[in-house]
Amino acid sequence: MPRIASPLIIVVALLYFAGVVAISVWSARRTRTTRDFFVAGRGIGLVALTVASVSASVSGFIFIGGPGLLYRVGLGALWIVLPASLTNVLGAWVLAKRMRLLGEVRGAMTVPDAIGARYRSPAAQGIAAVAILIAVVGYMATNCLAMGYVVDAIFGVGMGWGIWIGIGITLAYSVAGGILAGVYNDVFQGTLMAVASVLVFGYVLRVNGGMSGISHAIMPVAPAFLGPWGTMTPIAALSFFFVFGMGALGQPQSVHKYYMLKDPLQLKWYPLLKTLGLILVLLLYFGVGVGVKALVATGRMAPLSVADEATPRFLLGFTPVLLAALVFSGIAAATMSAINGFINIGAAAVTHDIPVALGRTLVDELRWGRVATVVIAIAAALVARYSGTMVAFLGIFGWGLFASTLVPSLAFGLNWEGATREGAIASMATGLTVTVTFETLAYFKAYSFPSGVTVSGLSLVLSILAFFTVSGLTRRAAPGQLDPDVRAVMEL
Amino acid sequence: MTAPGDARSRRAAVSAIVISTLAIGGGYASAFVGGGAPPWGGWLFAAGVTGVLVATLALGALRRDATLGRLALPFALTAVMIGAGFVAVFALPDTGASEPLLFGLPRRAAIVLYGIGLFPTLVLPVAYALTFEAQTLREADLARLRAMTRATQAADEGAG
Repeated sequence: MPRIASPLIIVVALLYFAGVVAISVWSARRTRTTRDFFVAGRGIGLVALTVASVSASVSGFIFIGGPGLLYRVGLGALWIVLPASLTNVLGAWVLAKRMRLLGEVRGAMTVPDAIGARYRSPAAQGIAAVAILIAVVGYMATNCLAMGYVVDAIFGVGMGWGIWIGIGITLAYSVAGGILAGVYNDVFQGTLMAVASVLVFGYVLRVNGGMSGISHAIMPVAPAFLGPWGTMTPIAALSFFFVFGMGALGQPQSVHKYYMLKDPLQLKWYPLLKTLGLILVLLLYFGVGVGVKALVATGRMAPLSVADEATPRFLLGFTPVLLAALVFSGIAAATMSAINGFINIGAAAVTHDIPVALGRTLVDELRWGRVATVVIAIAAALVARYSGTMVAFLGIFGWGLFASTLVPSLAFGLNWEGATREGAIASMATGLTVTVTFETLAYFKAYSFPSGVTVSGLSLVLSILAFFTVSGLTRRAAPGQLDPDVRAVMEL
Repeated sequence: MTAPGDARSRRAAVSAIVISTLAIGGGYASAFVGGGAPPWGGWLFAAGVTGVLVATLALGALRRDATLGRLALPFALTAVMIGAGFVAVFALPDTGASEPLLFGLPRRAAIVLYGIGLFPTLVLPVAYALTFEAQTLREADLARLRAMTRATQAADEGAG
């Protein structure tokens, strides 16, 4: 990422971080119990939850890596975000009501809590928690690295200090205010990012003469770029659609937010509001990707040596510096918010889910939650700082692991009485084994799948099939594994 | 006892999820064929991904005491729109730089963005909101569940 340090950008970034600190201090005063720390006391209203959820669904990738990928492979990269029109309503019908009600009847606070309650199985809860913990550290390391890049680009402090400054600010608000601080910081930055994204998209259209101008600029020099699959194969593009569509049901940083809603009847407008909010934020992803390609095609911008420079180069060259400053600060805040969400989920796995799986409970869960928050954040920052190219591998690994281990047991399990704990455990074990084995083989270049076949996609297919096959084989056990209150929640 | 209509719908949704997932697996398997995936691999994958998404929606929307009811229409519409979008994208010829524009984008890209990407936004979240009380959650459901929880807790405390 190029150096973007300028007095105005630094001032805006400092003001932005001051806002984050102020919200965190306010949230810390309202965090008194474990339930406050992990699920915001189940007291978040519809609008706040919607904006926070939009914010949690995007990370630095949507503003930096995504437009860069679109610039490189064309509209094939659009298949990553196209499922957004379906995933929110899918999550609402499949998970939101049932998870929120499980929170009410069982006091469930985490995704493994829901799995443990559904199958009356501490083992299933423990395996889910272990998978989440492994994926969380990988995911966080990727976001720590992205945060280091942005902080370094704004303040010019170097990559290492960028990571530690960013993680320091995030830790301060995570430890003090838990998820409550995260939610209200998400509201703050999600609102700004939606406004900034619409403005950036407006500038893209203005400098390129609208969508038709963009198409007329690109088609003569790179017709495949604007083809339905871009420069990718159909199966590679469709694989994105599958993994980011169905896989969204297994992303704990998003689905965990269902527990926080104050009144379950407010879910009525949640998918519509969230989908509209997400579309606004994603305008930047699409607009900058195609807009920069059009500028390069018409010779108004030099070809990019690194695709990830698409957003910074467009902002610095074609938008007012104040807007650029807001977006850069927002990108830093987006990575911090992503890290905060993952820290919270990881801390819950360590201090709540794994002890429950082992038949123990911690005496002061809130205090241990804060300790775990610090330990996990430092571990992720160290991984980001010292693991080199391994970090990108860990990010991919994290997403795939969430999807393949959690989607069948959670999403199908909460909606199908025929599911069994044996099926759930088999699917989680399949997802864990296939993802770890083939991602590792690919990382060490020992074996990789043919073009278009992704480890995350194939492991999701195999874990779904394992779930239904083993549940079918053990179906006689199914009725005895459902407690009456859980059955009542599932039947609504 | 589970109502027969609901049980049949649930079985149909689960069967559709399994068959669609197998189709996606078949699409992936086609990529292992030497010389790259044959065209049928893409068709199979597209059919599978449409099926698994819509069948999962249907499974999530089913209640014990009802079939899909009014939701059957928006779900069918979404399945048809996404499916038709895929058919159009695969079947229309790739005319390169001379492809006509539709709403500012080359025709096939426009079908992807507006038909597969944006159309479900106009239908599903609106259907969710409009049928929320009838199909998803009512005050009476909550009251019943809360009463049941209180009774269970009281029984547990009594036993303890």
